Amino acid sequence: MIIYILRRLGATLIVMGLVGLMVFVLLHLAPGDPAAVIAGDNATPEQIAQLRQMLGLDDPLPVQFLRWMGDVVQGDLGVSIYSNEPVAQLIMQRMEATVSLAIATLAFAVPIAIAFGVIAAHRAGTTVDRILMLFSVMGFSLPAFVLGYMLSWLFAIEWKLLPVQGFTPISEGIWPWARNLILPSVTLGMTYTALIARITRTSMLEVLSEDFIRTARAKGVAVPRILVKHALRNAGVPIATVIGIGIALLIGGVVVTETVFNIPGVGRLVVDAIARRDYPVIQGVILVFSGIYVFVNLATDLSYTLIDPRIRY
Amino acid sequence: MKTTRRTLLQGAAFAGILIAAPRFSFATARSTTLRCVMHADLASLDPIATTASITAYHGALIYDTLFGHDADSITRPQMVSDYTVSDDGLTYVFILRKGLKFHDGQPVTARDAVASIKRWGARDGAGQHLFKRVADVSAKDDSSFSIVLNEPYPLILDWLGKSSPSICFIMREADASTDPGKPITEAVGSGPYMFNRAETRTGSQYVYDRNPEYVAVAEPASGFAGGKVAKFERIILQNMPDEQTAVSALQAGEIDFIEKISPELLSQLEGDSSVKLEVLNKTGAMGWLRMNTLQPPFNNVKARQAMLYLIDQAAVMQATFGDPKHYKGCASLFACGTTMESDANTGWFKGGQNIEKAAALFKEAGYDGTPVVIMQQTTLPVLSNASLLLAQWLRQAGVNVELVPLDWAGIVARRSNKGKASEGGWNIFMTYASGSAYNNPIALAGHAATGEKGWFGWPEDAKHEQLRDAWAAAPDLASRQKIAHEMQENAWNFVPHVYLGQWFDTAAMRSDVNGMIGLPDLVPFWNVSRG
Repeated sequence: MIIYILRRLGATLIVMGLVGLMVFVLLHLAPGDPAAVIAGDNATPEQIAQLRQMLGLDDPLPVQFLRWMGDVVQGDLGVSIYSNEPVAQLIMQRMEATVSLAIATLAFAVPIAIAFGVIAAHRAGTTVDRILMLFSVMGFSLPAFVLGYMLSWLFAIEWKLLPVQGFTPISEGIWPWARNLILPSVTLGMTYTALIARITRTSMLEVLSEDFIRTARAKGVAVPRILVKHALRNAGVPIATVIGIGIALLIGGVVVTETVFNIPGVGRLVVDAIARRDYPVIQGVILVFSGIYVFVNLATDLSYTLIDPRIRY
Repeated sequence: MKTTRRTLLQGAAFAGILIAAPRFSFATARSTTLRCVMHADLASLDPIATTASITAYHGALIYDTLFGHDADSITRPQMVSDYTVSDDGLTYVFILRKGLKFHDGQPVTARDAVASIKRWGARDGAGQHLFKRVADVSAKDDSSFSIVLNEPYPLILDWLGKSSPSICFIMREADASTDPGKPITEAVGSGPYMFNRAETRTGSQYVYDRNPEYVAVAEPASGFAGGKVAKFERIILQNMPDEQTAVSALQAGEIDFIEKISPELLSQLEGDSSVKLEVLNKTGAMGWLRMNTLQPPFNNVKARQAMLYLIDQAAVMQATFGDPKHYKGCASLFACGTTMESDANTGWFKGGQNIEKAAALFKEAGYDGTPVVIMQQTTLPVLSNASLLLAQWLRQAGVNVELVPLDWAGIVARRSNKGKASEGGWNIFMTYASGSAYNNPIALAGHAATGEKGWFGWPEDAKHEQLRDAWAAAPDLASRQKIAHEMQENAWNFVPHVYLGQWFDTAAMRSDVNGMIGLPDLVPFWNVSRG
């Protein structure tokens, strides 16, 4: 197991290096000039050229790449071309909002989705199943910006129960932190609820048709016990996989929800950076994202051994 | 535990307190804090290195200026207590007000002013024009300094007090000694508010606290001049890219001010008594179209003249703003509603759109069917829509058009390419500036017709340049207006650019926010109060 983990971690470094190279090349191939954006619309070409030179953007691309990679190897993601703040600091400032939103979304989505999936599988083909799956189709179909605006209008403007937008750090209190997360996590959670519920149902249906379930039923084991202890555990691997993908996607930034609810998360950071070609920020965020993706995938793979003792690495 | 009606009521009461509690604390902070959603994120902190308006707003909060234009466009002393001009008009001596201090506690000295003027003069269009006539700028002692000119320059005080970017803000000598092309990251001024870096979250919110040491001029606030009294303890500029969210937040009382509202969202606020709407910038904004005059077909003046007849400003404006109360057509080179507005040589505008005439002019220009590349700005609806309409009209005039959709960063990168469109260059791009910016033929880089040394599009016309110099040297407003008239007469013959129309953005604020000063190029936050 330890060798497996070390091997995977080694592969992570290679993946991150390749991601770094690809991102750097693609970014610099795309049209855009941060010096021209910083200088403003009224700046003359001469002023822009002067600024470009000051920022080191005139250097050959291989020189710029090696300079950046050299810093990254030493743990330095560079500084923003615009604010001159360290990229690592900018990411850390935004990470709390993103991680908070991810946790709140999963806390909302996972229990509901698994319960829906289990019940739908148990009552497969009945009206209950159809209603639950209709709900999950709706969750997929409703875009986050439509649902987000609707919830915001109802709960924030009409009923004045929750705030429209913003994020409060947890250091300012649990309730202020949670209040700002309720609407975005429900908005975002609808898609994940739908996704996890459907996977759970499919996986459960497969397990419920197994011989050992029939045996358990024949022995007179109570239905809830069969569903949770026997079936759900054996259906767990695909469910863990989809939850893992969900975590990676959530940490990777959910730009629309962050924008609709004005949450200063990592997704917004990278979109803003792309709009103004803040290369060090874009490169740094994507590098961190790729690391998180690989780490979450590894954690998901390892979780299989807990769900299914037959799996060994 | 047994659940009784009493425990349920207790639980409900507790939940109510939890929901209400943050409201009370928010209400307390709300009375002393003004939360504002601006049109853009504050990308740079240096108001000299960039001409971005949002950085000028930041500058106006934390820095002060030597002079300022009041509401009647009269230049008044601000950081200067007194000044003298020699009889020959060549030597200006300025004395700083007593008690001026930077936010770090250091006094503002003449050396700070000298370094700041030099940095501004190296960067700003008007400053560069002035500095071609400057022999010396130097400190005489801690509180006085002089500017010695080679030739009289009547606009010198106007330039030092102008509120359009780049503004001559007074910085610490150490900051102002930085190369003007290198953006400074310090934000220490002597203005009415102090930048609170600890609570600022780059890309999200920028926090400014009242400067308790600031000594305002003992006059009422007027335009960019007068007493800059900070009435709120804190100003927060928020970056909220989604306009619908900002509108909802304003209605819910979570923010106090939105600088610009898209016309389609105005109806949501019009019936809401908790919100008021106001046009702060009375000269609005003008969209303009630049043509690459170095490459065919627009290296031929006939093709540029064709563009005057091709564009229907009302149609361009209506496509985005709908209701005519938000826009108007304008043929003045200096925008409409400004002091330099002129009616000279505008027959093409009065006659309305004439596609046949445009087609004939393109033919006279020897247009050979090579695709004309329009860089379509996708991030601003008015410019994106204008590009689509223009493409259609060009096609109707027999011009082969290629639309290249780009975001702003893509456009500003590509527009510096002077080459052929087929080799990565371009033929047309669009942008906009405030109406008052067009009113100044020296400060607005795009008013120059200096050829390849000038602004993107690179038009060249010797007479235009002579008139610009004459305008700057003119002794009074009436003389400048006369020269402006001549300049426009000439400009619509060689056509340095074409206008798309003039529009007026609406700001929205909570109905209890008062005292917002309407300036053409700036949203100042002094003098603003609640209640």
